[in-house]
Amino acid sequence: MSLHRAGAVARRIVLQFRRDRRSLALLFVAPMVVLTLVGVLWGSAATNTVRVVAAGDVDPQVLEALRGTEIQLSALDRDAALEELRAGHADAMIEIADNAATVTVEGSDPTRTAAIVGQVEGALIHLILDVPLTAFVKVSYLYGGPDYSLLDYLAPVLIAVFAFFFIFLLSTVSFLRERTSGTLERLLATPLTRGELVAGYMGGFALFALLQALVILAFTVFVLKVQYRGNLATIFIVEAVLVIGAVSLGLAISAFARNELQAVQFVPLVLLPQVFLSGFLVPVDQLSDVLRAISAVLPLTYANEALRSVMVKGYALTDPLILRDIGILAAFALLMAVAAVLSIRREVA
Amino acid sequence: MDVQVAVEARDVRKRFGSVTALDGLTLTVSRGEIYGLLGPNGSGKTTFIRTLAGLLRPDGGDVHIFGALPRAAVSSGAVGYMTQAAALYGELSVDENLRFFAALEGVTDVGAHVEDALRRVDLLDRRRSTVSTLSSGMRTRVSLAATLLHQPRLLLLDEPTVGVDPALRREFWEHFRSLAASGVTILVSSHVMDEASRCDRLGLIRAGRLLAEGTARELVARAGTSDLESAFLALSAAPA
Repeated sequence: MSLHRAGAVARRIVLQFRRDRRSLALLFVAPMVVLTLVGVLWGSAATNTVRVVAAGDVDPQVLEALRGTEIQLSALDRDAALEELRAGHADAMIEIADNAATVTVEGSDPTRTAAIVGQVEGALIHLILDVPLTAFVKVSYLYGGPDYSLLDYLAPVLIAVFAFFFIFLLSTVSFLRERTSGTLERLLATPLTRGELVAGYMGGFALFALLQALVILAFTVFVLKVQYRGNLATIFIVEAVLVIGAVSLGLAISAFARNELQAVQFVPLVLLPQVFLSGFLVPVDQLSDVLRAISAVLPLTYANEALRSVMVKGYALTDPLILRDIGILAAFALLMAVAAVLSIRREVA
Repeated sequence: MDVQVAVEARDVRKRFGSVTALDGLTLTVSRGEIYGLLGPNGSGKTTFIRTLAGLLRPDGGDVHIFGALPRAAVSSGAVGYMTQAAALYGELSVDENLRFFAALEGVTDVGAHVEDALRRVDLLDRRRSTVSTLSSGMRTRVSLAATLLHQPRLLLLDEPTVGVDPALRREFWEHFRSLAASGVTILVSSHVMDEASRCDRLGLIRAGRLLAEGTARELVARAGTSDLESAFLALSAAPA
């Protein structure tokens, strides 16, 4: 392995990339735009108000009791109440007869249904017991806190997804261009070895990947004011190992594409399973055995676990869980680098 | 191994699936010689050149360059390979492209070598230009400069003058002549007869096999034709 030759490849990539303003914008500006949108969406406290229509007469005492809660109650006759529900102007219809309450919900969104039923049930208990719920339910937090927003919880995962996605895409397309433009053939007819070529690519792209990781992290913490507990340097180290793996994966994957359109089609194939199964949308321990087995081979699973543990729970770099995750990410990067080397076909004569 | 031999290929065979690209090709190129590989499209010229450049492993037979296996010869910097289409980085300047290839070839005193190569192809004044802004002829010249940087002892040129105007083609051949005079061996593939006639020796290949070999004059005499083009057509059409 000649560091001089690998360094020449890395330098060339840096030079080329510096001139490619659109790709630079994609790398640095696009994540900030998307993060801002996500920040606005998830960063503000969600409105939990549930609009309930009561069919028939409602005891004024009930109305009084619900004042100040997140239940917004109005009374209509049954047909009008049902119409409100159908039109989406109400979340639930409640009928009280013979000391029993019947709750009708729109029901098409299971998550929303569960939240509405929970709120209405809570309010009914509150009415029956005639005491505010907060009088006997006290919540204390091991991690996070009452002012934690969804963004605070998802930010660590978003950082990992963006870093992985953009660098994977760029390294795939760049290396594909090398393969299709004839320059790869020319390079392989020089003393440069395949290992040196891959090392050079990893070096060149890692520089931009790390800069991007730094920008995303700074933007998340200082502009979006995401709450974090752990050390920023630890977060950066986890990101760095992840993106180096993303570069190698991109180089290896580019071998399977014949043109840039095909290369782009690999993006959902590589990215979507990681978004669904890495703990971003559903916690990994809630997945079925089959899905958990798939999740166990995805790099983002380990990056998410480590980043969330550091940012939300304040784990240190020396924590065995963090060290294990970094180790697995490094092993993934190494494995993909070997796959990338093998994907460059030179039948050495 | 004869020290005067630059390229020695014996019974070289190469198949791509059901297609036979090289079918027992045997030829020898002497040091300092300009050897022209002539043949119709798909005759195996590029496959042979890629084999010499260490990019393909033959299925059978032996290939040696200065007594070494092709990849070893390439790794030692003995070989310069100019691909059919200019293989350069369009976003980089001429200078940056050449410096990059010089670094890969382990060239010391890069500045002087880059300047020398650019002077040879008469592009010194365009060294700061971005490659994507150059004409195709200029790009071919840069490609040649990149091949000459490390002063290889064997130049492999795969149809180097495709798309090059006659004036520049003449210039190229002047370079090739002066390189050969300084001891560089050149193996060039072509189907331009004017070019072929400038080679010291020609090998006519068809279907991966050597059909005839000799100087242009010898081939014309053997085919009993008046010029090289007719000789090429007559010999190509003859039963193998």
